[in-house]
Amino acid sequence: MLELRGVVRRYALSGRSIIALDGIDLSLAAGSFTAVVGRSGCGKTTLLRLIARLEQPDAGTLHWDGPTPPRAGYVFQEPRLMPWLSVARNVALTAAEADVADALAAVGLAGFADALPAQLSGGMAQRVAVARALAQRTGLILMDEPFGALDAFTRSQLQDDLVRLWQERQPAILFVTHDIEEACRLAERVIVLEAGRLVAEHRIDLPHPRDALDPEVQAARAAVLAALGQRPARSSSPSQHGVPACVP
Amino acid sequence: MPWQRLVYANDSQSQSSPASVLRGKGRRLNRTARRGALVAASAIAVWQAAAAAGAVNAFLLPSPLRVAEAALDLLGDGTLPLHVGISLGRVLAGFGFATLLAVPLAILLCLRPRLIRPVLPLIDLFRHIPPLAMIPLFILWLGIGETQKVAVILLAAFFPVFLATQGGISQVDRRLLEVAQVAGMTEAAQVWRILLPAALPSILVGLRLGFGYSWRALAGAELVAASSGLGWLIVNAEQLARSDIVLAGVLVIGMLGLILDALGTRLIVRLAPWAQAEITRAHA
Repeated sequence: MLELRGVVRRYALSGRSIIALDGIDLSLAAGSFTAVVGRSGCGKTTLLRLIARLEQPDAGTLHWDGPTPPRAGYVFQEPRLMPWLSVARNVALTAAEADVADALAAVGLAGFADALPAQLSGGMAQRVAVARALAQRTGLILMDEPFGALDAFTRSQLQDDLVRLWQERQPAILFVTHDIEEACRLAERVIVLEAGRLVAEHRIDLPHPRDALDPEVQAARAAVLAALGQRPARSSSPSQHGVPACVP
Repeated sequence: MPWQRLVYANDSQSQSSPASVLRGKGRRLNRTARRGALVAASAIAVWQAAAAAGAVNAFLLPSPLRVAEAALDLLGDGTLPLHVGISLGRVLAGFGFATLLAVPLAILLCLRPRLIRPVLPLIDLFRHIPPLAMIPLFILWLGIGETQKVAVILLAAFFPVFLATQGGISQVDRRLLEVAQVAGMTEAAQVWRILLPAALPSILVGLRLGFGYSWRALAGAELVAASSGLGWLIVNAEQLARSDIVLAGVLVIGMLGLILDALGTRLIVRLAPWAQAEITRAHA
């Protein structure tokens, strides 16, 4: 549904040119779940911003199916809720009224439609952000470390909810995270960025729900860590079963 | 269900609801108002005692009782309500026109800086001119009717509203706008649905300041070339050597300003509860 070819993005910083993305080739199929991992500053967020057309590439092209670029639901690192709007109005801001109730129910916030963002916990606010992206009923959802600021329990809950929603609705999801375990629990494909370049790609053909301690998930994690040049801190009998490395 | 447990656990852990915070602030404001009233009553008592003891010249500073009597007389014969109504009409007209000009101009400045940047020096020049200094020119240009008085008030109210709106919009978190941009919202919709509500706390503070400035400029506008209004009432009383009426007029202006400001603040907090912190800060 979306293809990037040779995409380059540079920023000017104190008179110097910093390359955020350096010739990225990537294709996203409809209904796929792709995670992007890499160190801070490797270009993960820039990649999402280019696909969302919040920025333009300096070189390279974006291709998509159909005459117009796909509208994307975007879950940012922080909820970005409008403080003057209720939960329901926040979701309705970028979606049709008829889809609001469904989206809130999908993230377990049906009873909080009239609450103001200030009345929500961090996890609930992030759920609203997820609902806002879902309610747009787009075929593409971009998620930029959406659960990074949450506690482990809430994060695990939201991860499970996200997989359930993806299985139900089948949007293409591009999920940026620096948590490799999270990437391996959620995605069918993990791509590794290093200094703006796509250095590795792994398929994870395991059924959901996945247990983070499952040996095969651990093996996937070890493979991704290896691509990043790190030894896994915690792994049990790493195996390459179901984790074929594709594109270095 | 774990999810429900999570929700209620968070609820129970929340230290205070917005409603309880507002109630707390309300109690604090009431206490402040009571203390303020006590200080004012004490000052009036001292003033009355000094007047009764003959410590102050009764012509230069008539006693509070005499001032109250003069105010009641003016109230009884309808003079005070008439002039209050006229003054209030002028303030509302001047302030209203200032708002209608300043808010759109500030929005335009923020959205199309290239368009409006050339006129900024002119705007800055006028910002530094006291509105009262413009009265002679306004009389020449606009005559001695209502237009000239409204223009003085407009000039006084324009800059606080303009600057607050400009500042508010330029400080809007651009990340909120990105939410709308990703969703494909038009620029007009972004202004109406994101920019203005996000800047509203600052705009409301500007409106509140602008209203205060209008009220202050009113007396000046009515001191010259006027035959009605509270400013005229004060000047006329001064010419008749009625210092009690002068003081009554001055105090009425002050009290009306105080009441209208309090009503405006309550209205703002009701319309934009998320702006409460900013409004309270402006009050402090």
